[in-house]
Amino acid sequence: MHATLRLTLLLFLITLSFGCAKRTLVALAPDPDGKVGSVYVTNEAGEVALDAPYQATSIGATRQRPTKPENLGREKIAGIFAEALSIQPARPRHFLLYFDRDVSLTSESAELLPGIIAAIRERNSADISVVGHTDTVGSREYNTELSKRRAASVRDLLVGLGVAAETIRTTSHGKENPLIPTADNVSEPRNRRVEVDVR
Amino acid sequence: MRNIFEVQFAALFLAASLAQGAAADHIGIIKTLAGEVVVERAGRFIKAEPNLKLYLADVINTGADGKTGLILEDDTVISMGFNSSLALKSFQFQPSEKKLSFIARIYHGTASFISGQIAKLAPSLVHIETPHATVGVRGTHVLIRVD
Repeated sequence: MHATLRLTLLLFLITLSFGCAKRTLVALAPDPDGKVGSVYVTNEAGEVALDAPYQATSIGATRQRPTKPENLGREKIAGIFAEALSIQPARPRHFLLYFDRDVSLTSESAELLPGIIAAIRERNSADISVVGHTDTVGSREYNTELSKRRAASVRDLLVGLGVAAETIRTTSHGKENPLIPTADNVSEPRNRRVEVDVR
Repeated sequence: MRNIFEVQFAALFLAASLAQGAAADHIGIIKTLAGEVVVERAGRFIKAEPNLKLYLADVINTGADGKTGLILEDDTVISMGFNSSLALKSFQFQPSEKKLSFIARIYHGTASFISGQIAKLAPSLVHIETPHATVGVRGTHVLIRVD
């Protein structure tokens, strides 16, 4: 009984000491296209915001406030995260196809299809999203249905061009994910679209 | 010790959701990898390979020489360095039903996150949990190391 108790206590102390040694480092870097976002680091003791490139904060315990943001510089961050950054996949290729009305592609958009096929081959992609969208004219139900039909029509075109159907997932975002935010019931050609994502 | 409990909890959680017959779509894929990378799913360990589909509650583990890059369905790009462990705890990307969320948890190691469309549509609903704090990601490129 005493032995068990001692063992439990020992394990507890080991856990505690490992717990104390651990630290978390959080850093912000510019996006691949140069923009800088922001992150909020929060725990029981407070919150710290990072909003400038290469700013970092470190945290030693949930009851210890994150340290004041400090600019670690590009090289130091690149060094700490060298392995993770070296295997970072290329961002998915994204294509926008527009519709005259209902499910007929504009002629400019139809010309993009060979480029989509090339991207699928080049990336050896087995994970392709085809997502239908509408503008805000009409009810939510109507637009969900229309965006579904748009996505299906593009899927059929891609399959017709030789893409394996099981690598394509179609979804519909209706009018809820507009490219150009508008008020309700606004006809906006740039929102009548299908987005193809090649991962 | 705590990490092990958390991993076990995630596994239990997944087992419970599978038991309810929740047949779910994949939420992302392994896109790049080198060395040893293993995906833990409902208590089973799956050797990762390119284009392996990832599901909710998967825990991705890299070995001493392992690193990997993932792409999720909303274009979030995550890459992990050596000896790293990360769980995909919550992922909802259905704007038409106003269901949006992404929560990952990093147990140890290094990871780079480039946020995707969920962060654009719902900036307050993207979180990365660490053992010491939660990181709210408004965008876009955040790097986290847990010793």
